[in-house]
Amino acid sequence: MTVARRVLLSPLSRPVVVMLAALLLGLFVSDFQKLTFALWVIYGLLALSLDLVWGKAGIFSFGQTAFFGAAAYLYGMIAINVSPTSGETVTALLGAVLGAAVLAAALGYFMFYGKVGDVYVAIITLASTLVLLQVMTSTAGPQYHIGKAELGGYNGMTHIPSMEFGFPGHPGDQMSPADTYTLVVLLAGLTYFAVLLLLRSGFGRVIAAVRENELRTELLGYDVRRAKLIIFAAGGAIAGLAGAVFAGWGNFMNPAPFSLPASALVVIYVLLGGRGTLAGAFLGAVAVEWLSTTLGGVLPSGTTLVVGGILIGVVLLVPGGLIPLFTGLVGRVVPRRPSMRRVLGRPLPARVDGVRGQRLEAHNLVKAFGGVKAIDSVSLDFPARELHCLIGPNGAGKSTFFNLLVGRYSPTAGTILHEGRPITHLQPHERARRGIGIKLQVPSIYRELSVRENVWLAAFAKVHNPPRAAAVGDGVLVRVGLIERAEDPAGDLSHGEQQWLEIGMVLASSPEVILLDEPTAGMTREETLRTVELVRNLAQQATVVVVEHDMEFVQRLDAPVTVLHQGRILARGKLAELRRNEDVLDVYLGRTFRATGG
Amino acid sequence: MGRDELNVTLASLAQGRLSRRQFLHGTGVALGTAALAACGQTATPTSTEPVAVGSLLDATGPINIYGTPLIDATKFAIDDINSKGGVLSRQLKLTSFDTQSTNDKYVQYANQLMLETKAAVIMGGITSASREAIRPAIDRNKQLYFYNEQYEGGVCDKFVFCTGVVPSQQLSTLVGWTMTNVGKTVYTLAADYNYGHISSDWVKFYLSQGGGQLLGVDFIPLDVSDFASTITKLQQRKPAAVMSLLVGGNHIAFYRQFAAAGLQDKMKIVSPTFGLGNEQVVLAPNESKGITVSYPYYQELTNSTNQKWVSDWHTRYGSGYPYITDSANAGWVGWHLWALAVNKAGSLDRDKVIKALESGLSFDAPEGTVRLDPKSHHLTHNVNIAQTNANHGFDIIQTFNAISPDPQGQCDLIGNPDQHTQFTPSLS
Amino acid sequence: MHLDQVVAIVVSVLGSVATLLIVSLGLAVIFGLMRVINLAHGEFLMLGAYAALTATRIGVNIWVSILLAGVSVGIFGLVVERLLIRHLYGRILDTMLATWGLSLVLVQAVTLIFGPSTNGIGTPLGSLHVGSYSFSQYSLVLIFAAAAMLTIVFWVFTRTSYGVMARAAVQNPSMAQALGINTARTNMVTFALGSSLAGLAGGLLAPTAGVVPSLGQAFIAQSFMTVIVGGPGVITGTSAASGVLGGSYNLVSYFTTPFIGQAALLVIAIVLLRLMPQGLSGNWRRQL
Repeated sequence: MTVARRVLLSPLSRPVVVMLAALLLGLFVSDFQKLTFALWVIYGLLALSLDLVWGKAGIFSFGQTAFFGAAAYLYGMIAINVSPTSGETVTALLGAVLGAAVLAAALGYFMFYGKVGDVYVAIITLASTLVLLQVMTSTAGPQYHIGKAELGGYNGMTHIPSMEFGFPGHPGDQMSPADTYTLVVLLAGLTYFAVLLLLRSGFGRVIAAVRENELRTELLGYDVRRAKLIIFAAGGAIAGLAGAVFAGWGNFMNPAPFSLPASALVVIYVLLGGRGTLAGAFLGAVAVEWLSTTLGGVLPSGTTLVVGGILIGVVLLVPGGLIPLFTGLVGRVVPRRPSMRRVLGRPLPARVDGVRGQRLEAHNLVKAFGGVKAIDSVSLDFPARELHCLIGPNGAGKSTFFNLLVGRYSPTAGTILHEGRPITHLQPHERARRGIGIKLQVPSIYRELSVRENVWLAAFAKVHNPPRAAAVGDGVLVRVGLIERAEDPAGDLSHGEQQWLEIGMVLASSPEVILLDEPTAGMTREETLRTVELVRNLAQQATVVVVEHDMEFVQRLDAPVTVLHQGRILARGKLAELRRNEDVLDVYLGRTFRATGG
Repeated sequence: MGRDELNVTLASLAQGRLSRRQFLHGTGVALGTAALAACGQTATPTSTEPVAVGSLLDATGPINIYGTPLIDATKFAIDDINSKGGVLSRQLKLTSFDTQSTNDKYVQYANQLMLETKAAVIMGGITSASREAIRPAIDRNKQLYFYNEQYEGGVCDKFVFCTGVVPSQQLSTLVGWTMTNVGKTVYTLAADYNYGHISSDWVKFYLSQGGGQLLGVDFIPLDVSDFASTITKLQQRKPAAVMSLLVGGNHIAFYRQFAAAGLQDKMKIVSPTFGLGNEQVVLAPNESKGITVSYPYYQELTNSTNQKWVSDWHTRYGSGYPYITDSANAGWVGWHLWALAVNKAGSLDRDKVIKALESGLSFDAPEGTVRLDPKSHHLTHNVNIAQTNANHGFDIIQTFNAISPDPQGQCDLIGNPDQHTQFTPSLS
Repeated sequence: MHLDQVVAIVVSVLGSVATLLIVSLGLAVIFGLMRVINLAHGEFLMLGAYAALTATRIGVNIWVSILLAGVSVGIFGLVVERLLIRHLYGRILDTMLATWGLSLVLVQAVTLIFGPSTNGIGTPLGSLHVGSYSFSQYSLVLIFAAAAMLTIVFWVFTRTSYGVMARAAVQNPSMAQALGINTARTNMVTFALGSSLAGLAGGLLAPTAGVVPSLGQAFIAQSFMTVIVGGPGVITGTSAASGVLGGSYNLVSYFTTPFIGQAALLVIAIVLLRLMPQGLSGNWRRQL
């Protein structure tokens, strides 16, 4: 492969090539075409902001046009007031981008720190956008103004200054429509490049982790809320950049972008181009806009009819969008090399510094759900470097108790101490950072990511150093016996292997305390036996609490056992002793419960 | 020129002494400057080639209720002008675009008409938002532009002519008529946007002048179609008349829910907007019974120009055509006024045509004779008060002649030709 | 406040709640039981309105026309499911794209057939007088219809074998298939049923709204908001959300202005979702 070819095909150089091609194109087309292309690129930039937050981070925002529109208004307000004296609109542009980012951050804080997720985010962002639509529409009249800039209600703000850089010797020299094209292409190219770099950083992998499995990421010790907030604010800033440039492009702004059809259109751009592909954002925007603009000049009254029909056709014939279609075609011609992400350095053992393990205590924990006490005043002490099992029949409160330790539930009363310090109301990621590793019952891994990337994410949460995280990760893979499958997607592993991978992820974060919820659920007998070994191995370097109901597994672990029943502690001791305990037998054999309390 | 500039740019680029500003400018405009330079000066009058003219209207999307009649009127007017010899003995060649009820399509197509088609005149725009979206580009390119739709008034721009009726014309007559014939207490329901806000100010102004009483104003967002609470409120306040400044498909629901609640016997609806979106067609006659409106044009006008126009319209578009609206008349007037002015100026030169338009031009329109007010670039209309009838149409009950479009004299484009603004009335 | 005024306000509030419930129920069934985001829901309503309008125009009794609207849009939904949605199960995003395209096509197709404005249906029945207030008898019909639609949906999903299978298919598709439930078939029926409810809603609204091709756009945002705020309970959640959102819109509009009423609806929706991230019915026992 020649050097030129390699440069052309490298993911980082591709946007540069496209950008240069677009700039070159600017030399050969008319002014009018440049104006039109500029608008398409602006919409592509807007779509890019959505693809970043939705395609890459999994946040389904219906509100990108809110940030776009708010920034356009801000640009107008600042530019109308400032540019006549300053002779530039750079201030306005930066102010608008900043404003949009702050708005997105505020909305993001409101949503993510309230644990709002999924489709609910879509509705909150949509409703917020519609609030802007209503408020801005009703600001008709000269009394609604910011300085010299009238908001203008439904008619909007008009005669907004074009972009001006105020270079020395060119005061008040407004950008011509054609210059705007050049500027827009440069800004879009730079933004795209910045997004690529962001996604290739450690933070970028965390973002992918959030998209793939939010809970797991939190349990690894990442602050998911903060990661989402950052990416949402970045998306807001990009949408804001598009909005500010739009205001300078068209010299007007009105509330129309805040309407439902406008905000849905951004989603359509991204879907058509291919969600998560980034480049698809531009391709989708250009395709939709080119189609509707062209048809609007040739069809008497069937524009939307044809656009709609084509969309349906694309969905049926080209699933996944245009970019996957093209890469699929190119892939046939230029076969892609398998991913060869090399690990730097030799595998390191996960245990870095001798013997570890810390104490965990629960004091009088109560958890009530609407009057029903699922956990009723339970106190348990897990001394450092001990293995402890928690058993009980279905509905005994095992899972609730586990979730209290993990931090997914907040107790109604009582305290949880870690090395003597209260952690009762800490978030799961905060507990994870203090060294509490958690494995849930259902395998919670990143199915789309490779096995190696899974453990890397876990290690990176602790060491914050990419090469070192890779080394720790590989050490763990050796230990859980998955090193041969390091490059496979984690979703391809067998059920038992997925459980081990998750234990490996817990291990990679070098925890002091390990909480395991039914680690052998769904395993074959052989796999269970291997897991016993693994868990006992873990207990040599950390405090381990296992919640189980597989009695054979518990017996083989040979550890102290606590039996929970109806939210209370029924009995404690070695399994062999408990087998002679009448109360425990009653519960397990379903005999009539003799206790008076009930 | 374009080529030279490019060479200069490349040369200075090679010598590494090009400012960023020059670079942006060079790569951006080089080949396009010639196009800009040509703009505004259309071909010489001796040519026999067709004259390019442009139209921007919404054929699709929610605004097409208003766009469709204007599109029909535009085609009809162009054919009519061409059948009578065109302008300066040249035929008109219409380039029209479907703006799809989106404002940035307006901007794109306006640019296309100015920079590529080099249209001698552009007509179009339905909502005020669409007009305000293209006005910056119109002013930048010094393009002659006609806006042929009823709107909130106040546009004062040398390059812009507005042939639609404005609230002061409709409301001075309608509010007066209401106080004499219905009662002095009025409750206003206004669409929550510029037209509604400005018109409701006019209602208040004319009411206070005539000794009427405004019981309240409710602004209703454009996407509301549930009027239950409004109807309860009206019954509590008991106005003699409800002034409806409601607009659009969703607001049609108000008239229906008003009638169904049995309010027709208790209070009367008067409106300067009812009918523009063919509300009287959508509603059953018993639901719209007694609603009183004020427009320059109705299909039922009996003057001979209108009778011929309506019959030609029905020949062209079929006798089943819903109802020919006031906007259709305004579109027809716009094209003919422009053609008259070009022929009077003997040239397509923009400044000469504007001068001819400002010469007190008048035209025998379907609505009656209209005169272009030179100072404001708006029309002096005859305004007719009319009431809905049993045939989804209107019966005219009173005519007010020659109502001025700018009663406050805010706009004087003869005295201040460089003005490019939109006034709001000062009515406090 | 006099008694007659109280009665008028109560009827008016119930009318707003019923309207919101009627327009949202079809969406609630399709989204709640199939996780399909039907962006053409508003256009299904619009088709229902035009179906009722066409039927009355050729002389069918208005009440029969409204029922016909439900039937015909249900059949239309069936066709859409067979031709389009069926290919997109499990591809929730592609479904959005396709239904958005469908909505564009439907609006313009109806415009080409009926024109941008056409003669509508007047509101049937008269008005009812209570003291010095009067209100439309048809608003009582809407309230009754909302209650009836709820009852029917509840009955279908709890008392028929299809309903039980449909709920099973949603909760655990692979398990349902293992039990021999034909999920393709239940999905088809669910989509048709949801479409039919949307069509019925359109038919019911036709005599109270202006029937224009863009009719659906006024309802799409509020109905999505109602369904999502309602949460997983198709019936309980949607009813509760209609009550809260429709009731607050009406009352705030009455005591202030419709602008503030509309804003209040949106803000309440935002705050509710923040406080109850799983929707109103998220923690309720009965998941229907």
